[in-house]
Amino acid sequence: MRIGSPKQSYAADEALFRTPTQWTWFGILLVSLALYPFMADQYWLYLACLISINIISATGLNILTGYTGQVSLGQAAFMGVGAYTVAWLDTHTGAPFFVNLLAGAGMATVAGVIFGLPSLRVKGLYLAIATIAASFILQFVFINWESVTRGMRGMNIDPPQVMGTALADPDQFYWLVVPIMVVMVLGAANLFRTRIGRAFIAIRDRDISASVLGIHLPTYKLMSFAIASFYAGMAGGLWAYFFGAINPESFPLLMSIFLLAAIIVGGMGTILGGILGAIFMTLTPEALRYGVDLLSPFIEDASVILSPVRTMVFGLLIVGFLLFEPHGLAEIWRRVRRFFHLWPFRN
Amino acid sequence: MSGYKQIAVLLVLLGMLFSGVVVAEEEKPKEIVLGASVPMTGPFAFAGIQLNAGLNDFVDWVNEQGGIEGHRVRYIGEDTGYQTDQSVAVFRRITSRADVNFYFGDSTAFQQTINRELERRDILLTGASFASELNDPERYPLQFMLGPDYSEQVGMLLEYIAEETPGASVMLIHSDTEFGRDPIRAARERAEALGLEIAGTIVTPPGASDISAEALKLRRAGPDYAIFHGYVLSPIPEFIRRARQMRLETKFMGTFYTMDQTMIDEMGEAAEGFMGVMPYRYFYDESGPAPIMDVIREINDEYRTNTYVQGWLTGLLMKTIAGETLRAGKALTGSNMRETLDSLEDIDTGGIFGQPVNFRGNSIPLGRIYRADVEAGRMVPVSDWIELE
Repeated sequence: MRIGSPKQSYAADEALFRTPTQWTWFGILLVSLALYPFMADQYWLYLACLISINIISATGLNILTGYTGQVSLGQAAFMGVGAYTVAWLDTHTGAPFFVNLLAGAGMATVAGVIFGLPSLRVKGLYLAIATIAASFILQFVFINWESVTRGMRGMNIDPPQVMGTALADPDQFYWLVVPIMVVMVLGAANLFRTRIGRAFIAIRDRDISASVLGIHLPTYKLMSFAIASFYAGMAGGLWAYFFGAINPESFPLLMSIFLLAAIIVGGMGTILGGILGAIFMTLTPEALRYGVDLLSPFIEDASVILSPVRTMVFGLLIVGFLLFEPHGLAEIWRRVRRFFHLWPFRN
Repeated sequence: MSGYKQIAVLLVLLGMLFSGVVVAEEEKPKEIVLGASVPMTGPFAFAGIQLNAGLNDFVDWVNEQGGIEGHRVRYIGEDTGYQTDQSVAVFRRITSRADVNFYFGDSTAFQQTINRELERRDILLTGASFASELNDPERYPLQFMLGPDYSEQVGMLLEYIAEETPGASVMLIHSDTEFGRDPIRAARERAEALGLEIAGTIVTPPGASDISAEALKLRRAGPDYAIFHGYVLSPIPEFIRRARQMRLETKFMGTFYTMDQTMIDEMGEAAEGFMGVMPYRYFYDESGPAPIMDVIREINDEYRTNTYVQGWLTGLLMKTIAGETLRAGKALTGSNMRETLDSLEDIDTGGIFGQPVNFRGNSIPLGRIYRADVEAGRMVPVSDWIELE
């Protein structure tokens, strides 16, 4: 049982990991991530890569929506900007993948700032509708700017090369996407130890008060859009490299809704929430396949009969979370941690 | 929920996560595996469920016949919801658990996405997509189509129009999707070559319900023919109904996914005279010798859709290609089977197509024009089999 963790400085109070126990668990997590490719097959590694990409994008959206309170339904479109930038650079310049990824994230940042401009005048549902415009406008650009995007025919992208080795399979791509994900998540967590992060939270909690406190709302709101779009652009670039082909329908509005659902289910305004939400939303439909597999020997045409049930169960799980755990998976995680903190005396 | 219960739930979830770890199946000799990403839910569930049934029935039938050159066929199909990332997940799941020889893909986006992986794993793929983009053996060497691509389908309709009404005007009505836009450029070029006039194009969302403005555009143009593409059903019946109200003489046409009898039935009276291109024989078409269609009718008492027949065609082409490859003493790799496919001529499809077929590029540019006879509840052929040059 842990009875307290005394802090003797402001730095200690702001630290991401405040106790040796937390450092130990973080170390175990990193070691597990490093060992995972040696234990899992290509399917599970594929899912791990997909989850990592979704975590990056969901974390970006969490910064904007969960921490700054700016509801956005344009995250997938910004991913598209990153993906198309990467695809174009890869096809036409042959630049190293990391340069392409940064350029993709940079282009998405520019797009995010432009489409974030309405946030200076509107908020809440109105802003959500304004950001839907980003989806439609960028979709239009992806379809019609044929000289760059190849329109509906889409673009193919070769796998990234590291010292002559193509990171083509999930077991290879894992070593690219997971470190980037870890760095970006740590970056997001650290953001909220800075003035910028605290300003975002102040804007979310009450923008007028934040303004009175000296926070320049236009600058910080656009900064939040820029950071969220940077994350989206990076996720989109990785998506393009991972799947190897993109077309204008690769980043639909539904994907933005998926990401928004991920941070709601995971827990808005917590870094862990974005991570758990992305894992839940990606993994649950796949985990439910095992239910179909288990029932297959007993039910004729199980896949036909149970596939719609699988979709419904997924929907019900999301509704269940919203009803019974409105603070998301992160809250469950916190309760589990509290239980161990006090174990064996209370639960 | 108490702490203990929460931990139990957590452990169960972790168990589910790691249950797929390190599961390597032993390679089974004398087995041909056909994997499939099938949309059994989502907007194309109507096609996916039938296709899945067709593939299952074919595999049962072929195994009863002794398999393919002594190899039993195993079919593994899973639902994708018609979402690319799920289709890829299903591909990864199936290929990591079985030594797959053939694969069936459910969409253009999936088939584009998985192309690189096919080459690496040396697997031959066919699929539900007829996208013109995929009809390129250089870019998609390990893929083939189960009929004419969309540009060729519209091309056949235009050939028919040019013959029936030389110099006719044609309106192209398509959905605002990759599927809908596919044949438009090629259609314009072919229409020009055939001396037809393109009266214009109308673009709507797929499944649009309010088409008032578009119907007026159709009325202003007053074309002799209108070709729908990129839809399954809506808004086709509404267009036809409005056109009839406006006393337009326009003849309406569609492509593969609009042409199933179930869709025509759903159109109701509006379907009367509706025409379109279909590469396969309908379930009830007993006009010529078609041994495989006879088998299908024997297995099924009731009408089966064209996508069910497509499942059988997938299996039959697999049987032919794999059989030839095995007889040549080669392994069932994607590249070996592609070589076989390229060497095949006048392939017998047991009457699913009305004549022996040949691949041109990745497609089979053969089809026939049918017209709906609502009273008889049937699609009636109005042309001979058209093979595009």
